[in-house]
Amino acid sequence: MRLLSSTGSLWRVSSRASPLAVEIRSLVREFKGSIRAIDGLDLDVAPGEIYGFLGPNGAGKTTTVRVLTTLLRPTSGTARVAGHDVVHDADAVRRSIGVALQEAAIDPLMTGRELLRMQGALHGLRGAEAKQRAVALLDRVGLTEAGDRRVGGYSGGMRRRLDLALALVHRPDVLFLDEPTTGLDITSRSALWREVRALNAEGTTVFLTTQYLEEAEQLADRVGIIARGRLVAEGTPAALKAKIGEPTLHVELADAADAGRARAALAPLGTLEEADEGEPARVALQAAGGSAAIAPVILALDEAGVAVGTIEVESPSLDDVFLAVTGSKLEGAAYEADEAA
Amino acid sequence: MSLDLLREGRVVGALGRRGLSVQFRKAQLLMPTFVLPLMLLAVISSGTSAARDLPQFPDVTSYITFIVPGTIIQGALLAGLTTGTALASDIEFGFFDRLLSAPVHRTSIILGRLFGTVGLAMLQASFFLLVALAFGARYPGGVDAALITVVLAAFTAVGIGGIASAIAIRTGSLSLMQSIFPFVFVLLFTAPAFFPRELLTPVLRDVAAYNPLTYVVEAVRGLLAGDAGLGDPWIGLASAVGLAVTMTALATFALKARLRAA
Repeated sequence: MRLLSSTGSLWRVSSRASPLAVEIRSLVREFKGSIRAIDGLDLDVAPGEIYGFLGPNGAGKTTTVRVLTTLLRPTSGTARVAGHDVVHDADAVRRSIGVALQEAAIDPLMTGRELLRMQGALHGLRGAEAKQRAVALLDRVGLTEAGDRRVGGYSGGMRRRLDLALALVHRPDVLFLDEPTTGLDITSRSALWREVRALNAEGTTVFLTTQYLEEAEQLADRVGIIARGRLVAEGTPAALKAKIGEPTLHVELADAADAGRARAALAPLGTLEEADEGEPARVALQAAGGSAAIAPVILALDEAGVAVGTIEVESPSLDDVFLAVTGSKLEGAAYEADEAA
Repeated sequence: MSLDLLREGRVVGALGRRGLSVQFRKAQLLMPTFVLPLMLLAVISSGTSAARDLPQFPDVTSYITFIVPGTIIQGALLAGLTTGTALASDIEFGFFDRLLSAPVHRTSIILGRLFGTVGLAMLQASFFLLVALAFGARYPGGVDAALITVVLAAFTAVGIGGIASAIAIRTGSLSLMQSIFPFVFVLLFTAPAFFPRELLTPVLRDVAAYNPLTYVVEAVRGLLAGDAGLGDPWIGLASAVGLAVTMTALATFALKARLRAA
């Protein structure tokens, strides 16, 4: 079942009436020195959704996750996970969630299998049940052969996969992944993304923080952009990008001398960007439809007798969205507040 | 017994198993808990055995028989301190958050860690008794006395583990825990671990009267020697149990305070 949210994005929700997976209202979290890591956050995540929480270091992502996973108390405001209040019903929250925090906190002297069995015991599984679950999860994350080796010898990707398996021991309703692929190579990252998608397809709600735009685009049904503890934009990646403008077609002319005629021919098809004196043979046009506008552009240039070298379509990226809503690029941006968490 | 209690019991068991098994996987962890007390036993038994000829020195079968209680209690102290160090490491490297985000009673997290300490202290005490036996110690008190000694060592380790855990929880600092290591020896030498209380200087004797380990060491000595005149086992048991209960409560309060402040 799919529902249209008030912000125009599509949420997948369970067919039975169920509470929001995450519900945050006016959440504030201060640290010593009145540093506000979270500053009046409101946020909803529907059951079955993958919610990408995007922001630079120190924006408040990790503090938010720590509040939602009962590791930190809010200074004010409320937060509910799977229908349970994180302060007043913390144990019920803990039963409903799986958590893989930013640093894969895994005892290097234990084996993967031992850790899974211990995690099973923490979640109330009995010996045989915990043993079976460990076998199944090691298989699921591709660590069966490494399961009896000490974790200290695992690669970063293996540790992350084990961390994910640990978070799944008790089949949680809501899975929190705090920057799950930071520091991983592209192969390990892709493998983890596949697993997250598979889990979500099985019905697990995923709350994912990331500072990687590609990760948010690849995984998230909806993205919330956080900056200085505030949610500054929210929606599907496509909707967020659409908000800040049309895709741009970059036309490389065969002959720079045709630039004037080309601009005149393309003007009716969209909004022309100002000519770049350094690249006289390039014309940039913002046009609705993106790649669908290529054919009319070629036709118009052909009719004007302009020879085309290449055409590239550039869609606005989430980084452009981030720049538009925060005034700075995501890459390299960092705030101090969340580091206090 | 309610289901919740059984469940928490399994949690304590799982955390205790983890604490104990990890202990034997790293030489750095075995060194202070097993090797160091034996080294001190060897040095003291060979270097100061002439003390046995001093007037007021109790009549025991051998000098090593007299000082092995000190080694056992030293081992218990170090096992307890290791508990705090391991807990600080869990806090510093994030493993503690894994425990806190699980639906377990907060007290079980402390008890689980201390349950591992109990196992470690019992293994240590048994090991030290056997090694000392091989080197000439004799235990006229018999097997029962040796078993009670192991139990006393376990309670003592829990007591020290409790205070070490409280410090670890309060500070979350691994380096601080490592820096308090020398204080173990202050506790040890202000108890009559290797010399009879009567032969300590008056000041040290006064201090020893306030050190609960004094009564545990003397109780172990009395038990092993089969001579209640060397130490009252009941007073030793009361000291060890009192220490364990008080310090475990302190660690639990420290955790609750930490969580309230989070």
